[in-house]
Amino acid sequence: MTAVAPGRTASRLGPERDRFRLTKLPTMAVIGAGGVATIVLWVRDTIYVTGLGGWLTNAGRITGLLAGYLIVVLLALMARVPALERGVGTDQLARWHSSLGRYVVSLSVAHTLLIIWGYAVTARAGLWPQTWTLLTSYTDVLMATVSLGLLVLIGIVSARAARRRLRYETWHLLHFYTYLAIALAFSHQFATGADFVTNKPARYWWSAMYVLVGALLLWFRLIQPLINAARLQLRVVAVQPESADAVSIWISGHNLDRLAAEPGQFFRWRFLTRQLWWAANPYSLSAPPRDDLLRITVKGLGEHSRSLRELAPGTRVIAEGPYGAFTAASRRLHKVLLIAGGVGITPIRALYESIPAYPGELTLLYRTGKASDVLFAQELQDIATQRRSRLEFVTGPRGGRRRSDPMEARRLKRMVPDLASHDVYLCGPPGLTEYLRGQLRAAGVPARQIHFESFAF
Amino acid sequence: MRRVLLAITGTIAGLVALLSFKSHSPIATGAGLPSAGLPSAGAGSSAPPSTGGSPTTSAPAGTSKAPAGRSPAPASSARSSAAATQTDYTGQAIQTQYGTVQVKVTMTGKKIDNVSFVQLTAFDQRSQYINSQAAPLLLQQTLSAQSAQIDGVSGATYTSIGYVQSLQSALDQAK
Repeated sequence: MTAVAPGRTASRLGPERDRFRLTKLPTMAVIGAGGVATIVLWVRDTIYVTGLGGWLTNAGRITGLLAGYLIVVLLALMARVPALERGVGTDQLARWHSSLGRYVVSLSVAHTLLIIWGYAVTARAGLWPQTWTLLTSYTDVLMATVSLGLLVLIGIVSARAARRRLRYETWHLLHFYTYLAIALAFSHQFATGADFVTNKPARYWWSAMYVLVGALLLWFRLIQPLINAARLQLRVVAVQPESADAVSIWISGHNLDRLAAEPGQFFRWRFLTRQLWWAANPYSLSAPPRDDLLRITVKGLGEHSRSLRELAPGTRVIAEGPYGAFTAASRRLHKVLLIAGGVGITPIRALYESIPAYPGELTLLYRTGKASDVLFAQELQDIATQRRSRLEFVTGPRGGRRRSDPMEARRLKRMVPDLASHDVYLCGPPGLTEYLRGQLRAAGVPARQIHFESFAF
Repeated sequence: MRRVLLAITGTIAGLVALLSFKSHSPIATGAGLPSAGLPSAGAGSSAPPSTGGSPTTSAPAGTSKAPAGRSPAPASSARSSAAATQTDYTGQAIQTQYGTVQVKVTMTGKKIDNVSFVQLTAFDQRSQYINSQAAPLLLQQTLSAQSAQIDGVSGATYTSIGYVQSLQSALDQAK
């Protein structure tokens, strides 16, 4: 149970480029094309715009249409579509989701205010009477208003400052109200949306878009995990301490090769015990996957990860995934530099064993605060010997006013000669990842050669 | 912070560009709009050659109170000479939430012989469709009621209200 049994995996570890991946640029192009199509709806329907009222009302219509479109995009980004997960990467999708989410909330607020103001100007009514008229005599607008309230609430809750004061689990649960908000806002689009009322094809396409994304969500977030759970029969085999506060969990199952998991990817794990079944938390594979065995390594950071220490062998597990674009597929050059920060070692550990590289062309820098935080010391040494690759542990406190940081650009360049011609894989806490990206750029590594994954939610 | 500013200015710039692209006024109306007249009204019912306003009254779609086609003859004198003279009265252009409505009536004394639209514009396709359905009904109702006290068309509330206002302002001129 201690060694990692590279056996079967090592032979078929070519970067799996044949699998379909939707990368950043094509994804952005698709989203953009949808946005343009949405604007075209308005352009085709609108005959002319006149007066302050007309300008405001129409600005309200455009912002409303865009919000209605982008909120579906938000869902699609979170539907865990494998092609997107592999191509764009889960953490990048989450970043898009959060900035786009803020934009959608702003658009919805702008839409509401502009419509009220525009209608009030045209009808020569006051803002409050006009609001009342809209709420009471326009079909489904009251529901849409409740939806707006929910969206704003979720937006506030998700804002970074607020989230630190909330438990992840609470925040996650609140997020489910987005579905309710979207459902509530849907009917007013067709009932009062001038662009849809007379345009039957537009209604069909618009509905089709909502249905499609709904189906994606249902399939990839619910049905497929359930099918996988039935097929794979995952169970905890052993729980093994790795350090004072980290444990490895070994999980067995049938025909795990069907999952097509790649080293560097992660799953969302749901351990079916009375306390843990409702939470699906993301943990990276800390060893290349085998046909019958997977390993994850968890550091006791939150409530959930601490209670994993008490898992009994035989506990059933449901795994959603694999997710993440942090794999050998994004590799471009011969030389590879892996940088792990703290518990970010887990996916790096899997890559260190498996990423194709000639002897001498693979380097691992493992950054920890204290020497006792180092995980897998023996395993890493074994891999280094076997693959004839470099392994450097960098310990000690961060840089401050007096001393320079051990990972600053100048030192990185000294540690890794020819740094700029490496593909760099970077995994660690958000602060470190951000810092290192800056230092690597400063050391002359082009952005496209820096692959990173940040495990902030 | 820079990205937030970029998103805001980008969105506003995009909106302004789109809106100004659509803000040129459409071809003014007049011809081709529905009109309705009483068959008994002697001279040509649909487009009577009359003294006052002609379809050239392309009043700006604003809130102008301009009574475009005021008859040169005082209304009181027309009453005595009975059905002899027909006079056109053009109502105010009324701006509604969905477009502009302006009505013209042709009257013989106190009788409405003919009523037609000077302007009936719509901001969007749906409103245009609603207008096209409602317009003939409104005209018919006016001829039947011989006043501005009409039911209006349900489903075209705003157009109906604008129509009645414009019609009333035209009839007020005839008093």
